[in-house]
Amino acid sequence: MAKQITFEFEGKNYTLEFTRKSIETMERQGFVIGDIVDKPMLTLPALFAGAFLAHHRFMKRNEIDAIYEKMTNKEELLQKLAEMYNEPLEALMEEPEENEGNVEWGANW
Amino acid sequence: MGSELVEPAPQLSYTEQFYNCFPFYLSIGMTYDQYWNDDCLLVKYYREAFDIRKKRENESLWLQGAYIYDALCAVSPVLHAFAKTGTKPLPYLDRPYPLTKKESEDIEAAKRKADRQRARAMFEAWANSLNLPKKDGER
Repeated sequence: MAKQITFEFEGKNYTLEFTRKSIETMERQGFVIGDIVDKPMLTLPALFAGAFLAHHRFMKRNEIDAIYEKMTNKEELLQKLAEMYNEPLEALMEEPEENEGNVEWGANW
Repeated sequence: MGSELVEPAPQLSYTEQFYNCFPFYLSIGMTYDQYWNDDCLLVKYYREAFDIRKKRENESLWLQGAYIYDALCAVSPVLHAFAKTGTKPLPYLDRPYPLTKKESEDIEAAKRKADRQRARAMFEAWANSLNLPKKDGER
């Protein structure tokens, strides 16, 4: 199952998820994930708003922005959103078959 | 020198990459809605199913080749130019290859049963041919 973020706001349940169609819609509207480093203040709310397209397509932007303002632990939220955003693309990439030539790698965090 | 490190290749947007892969997934049975709107991990399962289907088709073609090989072997006695007159082809397999262990065991059991019945019939025919004196009460 695809990664999702769920929460309750003012008595209503919300599910955030990215589908290929929602990413296409976001990119058509000018969203570029690469801008997350250069223009984080613009990109992050847009990323959050884009995650509503899959399950809450007709929500107004000001309602989404109001929710965004109330969200806690934003740093982790945005990290999770970025992971979710990459998932539809990552799912298209095949893992190389097991063989001796594969490169094992690790990270220190 | 090293300019390739300074000028990165233009990157495809996510949308472009989605559209590049889209025909492949349509060809293996995904619908438009499943690819664009459903769970994004569905593509993995479609790929796995596609691999299973390919493997099954490959096995089926291999099996067909084996049957053709058997058929050629069976007719080979009459295929060569200097075959003696009256040469007949060997009979083709009387049943398909067993595909499961159980099927194989069933065939073996049926074969053993047929052998036993044939032996019994031969023995009875031989016993009758001896004209042995009958016991009392037997006709």
